[in-house]
Order: sequence, then structure tokens, then C-alpha cells
Amino acid sequence: MKKFLSILSLTTILFASCNKNNETLEPAETAGKATLTLDAVVGTTDFALNKDFTANGKTWNFTQLRYWVSNVVLVKASGEEYAIPNSFYLMEENNSAETNSTYTYPANKRESIQLSDIPAGDYKAIKFSVGVSDKYNNNLSLQAGELSQLNGMTNVSWMWATSYIFSSLKGKVTEGATAKTISVETGLNANYRVVNLNLPSNLHIGSAKSSTILLNADVTRITDGVDIMTTPTVGASQAAAMAAVATNYSTKVFTVKSVN
Amino acid sequence: MTGAYAMRLALMLSIVLLAASSCKKEDAPGMKTGKKLHPVSLEVPAHFTQPVTDPDNPLTKEGIELGRILFYDTRLSAGNKLACASCHRPELAFSDAVALSNIGESGQTLHRHSPALINLAWMQNGLFWDGGSTNLESQAFGPLTSADEMHQNLSELEFELKQVPDYVSRFKQVFGTEVKSTAIVKALAQFERTLISGNAKYDQYRLKQPGISLSSEELNGLALINSKCRSCHAGELFTDDNFHNNGIDADFSNDALEGIYQGRFRLTYNKADLGKFKTPTLRNVLLTAPYMHDGRFSTIEQVLEHYHTGIRVSATTDVLVYQNNGQPGILLTAKEKKDIIAFLGTLTDDSFIHNQKLNKPN
Repeated sequence: MKKFLSILSLTTILFASCNKNNETLEPAETAGKATLTLDAVVGTTDFALNKDFTANGKTWNFTQLRYWVSNVVLVKASGEEYAIPNSFYLMEENNSAETNSTYTYPANKRESIQLSDIPAGDYKAIKFSVGVSDKYNNNLSLQAGELSQLNGMTNVSWMWATSYIFSSLKGKVTEGATAKTISVETGLNANYRVVNLNLPSNLHIGSAKSSTILLNADVTRITDGVDIMTTPTVGASQAAAMAAVATNYSTKVFTVKSVN
Repeated sequence: MTGAYAMRLALMLSIVLLAASSCKKEDAPGMKTGKKLHPVSLEVPAHFTQPVTDPDNPLTKEGIELGRILFYDTRLSAGNKLACASCHRPELAFSDAVALSNIGESGQTLHRHSPALINLAWMQNGLFWDGGSTNLESQAFGPLTSADEMHQNLSELEFELKQVPDYVSRFKQVFGTEVKSTAIVKALAQFERTLISGNAKYDQYRLKQPGISLSSEELNGLALINSKCRSCHAGELFTDDNFHNNGIDADFSNDALEGIYQGRFRLTYNKADLGKFKTPTLRNVLLTAPYMHDGRFSTIEQVLEHYHTGIRVSATTDVLVYQNNGQPGILLTAKEKKDIIAFLGTLTDDSFIHNQKLNKPN
């Protein structure tokens, strides 16, 4: 009879899981939503394209900021982790760009990610990666989240070596009388880095209200430690500079501004 | 267990199963159109190892056929003039007989020679001459989008193929999706994995097929190759799927064009990889002239002469080409060269180049 009961209960569970209109028996709070915003800044000023900024004794004028945010994980106060499935998000501020055809990549600004189905609870930290994990970086035909070959994050230079561009910062830097066009990219499996950020206070996420996590992404920190005037192009052939940039993304670029 | 108990148990189980199956929202790709997909195992020659299968792109009869149609379709290039097969011609064991092609969209001469496409299912150590591409799926994006090759915009390609009803239904059947660039490269990779050559005269001899024998010259050539060439041109694939500096140049410091002259160094930035290029297979080698990553040798005789007297020494020159009492070079007499070439002829696989399943579909 015990067996019968267990089969019966299993049946019930299975039926219940199919039934969308089923009323929840327990009044407990259900999964919630959160908006993760990565607000690009230049020091203390809001980031913008095609505008002069002064930082580190130089004048910076940016034309592109793009990077993949992937594998977003929320950490409960208890230490329990919730990994957002399929999380590959392309963050960008980008001028419209010509491509090799009549198709023009549109100008776009994207700083926010909508996270949903987060188990209700108090969260103390957030983790995410900048870049694309090796499984997907090694096979451009695999699809997950927003990964695509159509958004210019795999140009042909990188395709010869099967890789997404993990991050790209472009523009012009002027120091005194010298101006350099800069292109700072990361994109090797070795450049895949995790960002760990503790929240200033525990953030309750649940069905009662939508939560927000606001991060600053300080663009001036991306090239910390790289002499940008002598190394204005950072790519695969500048492996050391590229590793430094990847580490900067992991440890210096992102800070938590507020949670709510 | 009593009969009644068993019956009730069976009834319960069937309810459970019913309940579980009613949750299933999506059938496997191919089921949506009601057309069944037929899984395929590669036809592996008896003396070959089993190739590694890719769980993310399982082979099906329908996927391979779609890949074959795409491989020969000029719509894959921007100007609709070039197909994959334009530089990978089946009658030349999927090579192009040109040292450095200039038939790409830009008209620019390429810097590397089109490799022959043979037994790619076994190539697990990177594709392209420097191994930059990790798998056939990803590899296809290179020539598809390169300005000097097919120069195709992927959005435009998807749009263009969506205008073809046959493609729309095939993509739906094979991948359960609309026409997508990721599915295009998956189909191409499936077809490319079927480019198997393992039925040349050498193979028939090797497998002791009745009535097949090698001449004394061919046998001598085989013995010479076994003793002098097999470290790199290894196994039944006649390649070790690895990278070597075979003494082709003395200097690999020219880093122009994103390091295209520097061999595998271009990818690893490891000095030990300067001048290293992928070992090509010797299979069908008499069909795939010219030779080397830049097609610099127009004949097989020149290749053998290179190994005999032409080795240029640099820090990364492979010790395997030091076969002259510790000095660079592989000593070969005129007769030995002739015999080696005679043997190489036994690696020409007519059944491969004439295989209807690999040729342009009607």
C-alpha cells in the first residue's frame, strides 16, 4: 500500500506540474524579477559616445563599448546560488556601423538585463562573467541566450581563431599633441573572467516587487596598467595587454552602486 | 506479486506515463514537419579508427544532404558567384589546383592555399593551416564572411535562403528552425564529415582485397615513406593532425597580415610555434598540387627536392627533417623519389572523387 501511495503522489505531482491554473496551496512568496543595470561611467560622469572626457591626464572620445555578460549567478545570504539559465547578454553603446553589405548595424545603447524566475529570498552577492565560456567560444554554431554571429561580436579576424570578441572599447585618446585611435579587445578562452560583487546590503527578491541591482561600469578602468599611447591596439597579438584588460574587467571595472 | 496487484500497478504506471508525456511540449526536430530524420553513422573504412562524433551536431541523412546542397550553392557568396566547391573541387579531392586563389569577392590574391578536404571527421586538432578553427562548424564562418573569399553578410544570407521554399522546408525538417547561419554551418559540417577517402589502391592492398597488388616500385615507395615520412604523415590518415615547421623558410619574423606568414604562432604567440603549419594528408596528394600552405611548390617532385636539399633552418625547424646524419634534409636518390611518387599514386582514390553522394546534386 505504501507503494501505491507513493505512485499516487507521484501522479499527483506530475499532474499538478502540468496544470497552470492550479492554485498554490501555500501562500508563500513565489519567484521574482530583478533588473540588472550596468551603467557605463567615465569616473564619476555618465558615459556617452562621441564626447570628450578627461581622465588619467588624457582626453578620451569613445565610439564603441561592447561586452558580453554571461553566466549571471545570484548568491543567497545562505550561500546558496541561483544561476540564470541561458545567460548571455550583449551590453553595448555603439554607433551605427557599416557592414559588408547594404545591411547597417544600428546604433544601440543597452545597459540593462531583465532577470526573471529568481527564487524568492535574500541575496547577498552577484557573480557574472565578462566573455563567453569555452564551450560556446569554441563552437560558433552553438546558440544560447543572445549569442549570435550577426551582431559583429565575431568579426573575421577573430573567426580565423574561432572566438567571440568578449569585449571591445573603441575611440580616440589624445595626450598633449598626440592622438591615437584605440581598439581594445579581449576574446581568448584565457580572457574569460568572473566578476564577484557583494551587495551593500541583502537584497530581497520575490514576487511582491521587482528588484533592481545597479552597477557602475567604469570605462576608465578597462585599460588600467596598459600604456594606451604606446599600445593603442589591444588584441590577440598583444596577449599580455589583453590579459591585463581581462583582469581589469574582473576586478576593477564593475562596482555596485545600489540595490533596491 | 498477485495478478490484481500487478494490473493495478500497471494502470497506475500508465497514468503516470500519460501525465508525464502530456507535459512534453516539443518533439524532436524533424517531428514538427512530420518527416522523420534518419541518423547516420559515417562509413568508416575497415582500417580506420572511429572518428569522434559531435553530440551538438548529430549526423542525419537529411542534414548531410542539406549540407551538400549548400556546399555547391553559389548563393552562399555575396555576389552569388562562388560556392564552397569553387575552391574545393570534388574532381581534385576538394582542392583547387591554384597556389593562391584570387577568385574571391574582392579579387585579392589570398595568402594561403585552399586545403584539400579529405577525412575531416578525424581532424580534431584545429582546422586551417594554423589550426585556428576549433571545429568544422565554426570554420565555415571564416571563408563565408572574409572579404577576400565569399564576403557574405550573414543576415543577408539568411534572408536570401529564406526566399527558397526548398531551403525553408529542409532547415525546418533538419534543425527545427528557420534558415539560420548557425544551422547553415552545421549542415555544411555534416556534409564535410562525409568526405571520406579510404578506398584507394593502397587501401585495397592494405585490406588484402583479391587481385590487388602493388608493383615493386610502389612497394619500395611505401617502405621509403614508412621509414622517412610517417612521423608526420602518420597512420591510415597519412597525417598526424599536428603542426610542424618543415624547413620551408628560414625566417618567420614577418608579422604582417595578422601573422599569416608565421604559422601556428599566429594563434598561440608561442615562439616554439613559429613557422609550424598543419600536416596535410598524403591521400590523393597527386590530385592536390600545388603544395604547402602557400602553394609554392607546383609539383610533387619539387616537394621531394625540398625535403632532399631545400630545408631551411630556423629555431623551430622540426628535428624530423634532420635525416642526414644529424644534418637537415632527407636524403633521397632519384630512383627513391620515383618510387615514392609511384606509391603516392596508389593513394589516389577514384571512388572518392567520383562518389555521386559527394558531387554536386542534380
